[in-house]
Amino acid sequence: MRAVAAAFYKDLLLGWRGRAQGMAVAVFGATLLLLLSFAVGPNAQMLRQLGGGFLWVALLFSSTLALTESFRLERENRAIEGMLLLGVHPAAIFYGKALANWLQLFVLGLLLLPVMVVLYDPSLDGIGGVIGVLALGTAGLSAPGTLHAGLSSQTRAQQVLLPLLLFPLVVPVLIAAVRATSLLLLGDPMGQARSWALLLLAFDGVFWPLCGLLFGHVIEE
Amino acid sequence: MTGVVTGGWEFVWAAYGITFAVLAGYGIRLAVGLRTGKEDEER
Amino acid sequence: MEIASAPPVSPRAVRGALVALGVGILLLTVGWYQGLFVAPPEHYMGEVQRIMYVHVPTAWHALLALSFAFLSALAFLWKNDWRWDARLEAAVEMGVLLSILCCVQGAIWGKPTWGVWWDWDPRLTAMAVMLVAFLGILALRHLVDDPRKRAVWSSVATVISYANVPIVYFSVRWWNSLHQVQSTPKTVDSAMVTPLRINAFGMLFVLIAFVTLRSQIARRRLAAELAPPPAASTALAAGGER
Repeated sequence: MRAVAAAFYKDLLLGWRGRAQGMAVAVFGATLLLLLSFAVGPNAQMLRQLGGGFLWVALLFSSTLALTESFRLERENRAIEGMLLLGVHPAAIFYGKALANWLQLFVLGLLLLPVMVVLYDPSLDGIGGVIGVLALGTAGLSAPGTLHAGLSSQTRAQQVLLPLLLFPLVVPVLIAAVRATSLLLLGDPMGQARSWALLLLAFDGVFWPLCGLLFGHVIEE
Repeated sequence: MTGVVTGGWEFVWAAYGITFAVLAGYGIRLAVGLRTGKEDEER
Repeated sequence: MEIASAPPVSPRAVRGALVALGVGILLLTVGWYQGLFVAPPEHYMGEVQRIMYVHVPTAWHALLALSFAFLSALAFLWKNDWRWDARLEAAVEMGVLLSILCCVQGAIWGKPTWGVWWDWDPRLTAMAVMLVAFLGILALRHLVDDPRKRAVWSSVATVISYANVPIVYFSVRWWNSLHQVQSTPKTVDSAMVTPLRINAFGMLFVLIAFVTLRSQIARRRLAAELAPPPAASTALAAGGER
């Protein structure tokens, strides 16, 4: 448990030191939101309907950049082998990194939220719930994302391999997060948003343990 | 669903034909793979 | 980690596979004849119903192949036996092949029935997602040269992707249920069950044959990749071919 906290702190520190890169990722996400609205056109009604979906698509695409970055320093300095030699359990390395990535992606989502509000003009009644959905959804992106980022960082085709492996896996996260966000922003007469949030919780409940269990296989030499 | 679908044989032939082509093609690929491998082994 | 060396190709397995293939082709010939010419057209769907006789078995066996891939992945991670990696490779390839075939058949069935090539039917959509997931695993296998890493990583990715199948299916079904009433093709008519069964068994034998033969090819390649280099040059040349 202490190893997890230490790993988490290390990755937070690395993330903070690389915050210029993080800001660039946020700008990338904001640009995506802008481009997606160009794909639809200046139809305020349609944009309002699609805002929730576009937020999550932009977040998903930006996450590959953030996840790739989270392993770059380790790979360049062969730090993972160092940690394993020191006797750190691979699961501890995983959870420290996955938690740090979760926080990073959550912050990224929070940064994109005002951009989405400005461009797509949703009602702000359900914003609190949306922030909750952001937390659950980014957790769903982080666990499989950290595992596959660790895997693909050791290949020569990381840029294509990470999205290719990750995106099909997180389809349930995308579906549930978009539905919950859209319902919260556009009106939820039947109270379905909670059910979608529960689906996100179930996804997290399956994949956080599973990916932690399997991460050791990914980083062993 | 209202009404009855009439005709449609061209779709049936398309589905069966593509299925046959894909399975037969893969079978041929396997046969070639096994044969070239055996030649390499006997060399 | 000690791994048992790759055993050579088994001629007995090849012979068994060829027998299974013969049986499968025989059954499919009968089944297709029945499906095309003997079985009656369905009340609403007319002749297009006949596509079900290939589409339903393809769907079942795509899922069966991917399930076998999952078991092979678990077996490899547990036992570190190269034979399971060979079976994984074969099963994923067949699973992807059958999934593509299933989606194509579904679209061909869908156009005359619903008027659109794709209507986001939950089962087909979930299969399309799984198809992309396992295509990614095939890409992973092609992009990793080290046999050990390739085997371990594709096993891990297979386990995770397969664990996702029920979640994906459930999410897509729920997502789509808000917009659409499900329409399932009915195959309960007894005149339709027999051709369906014959086709299902026929395709099962073909699947077993193909997976066996493909895993033999994989085992041969693994043996070449893992062989200690005697005079270096010949072993490298053999390992480089694909």
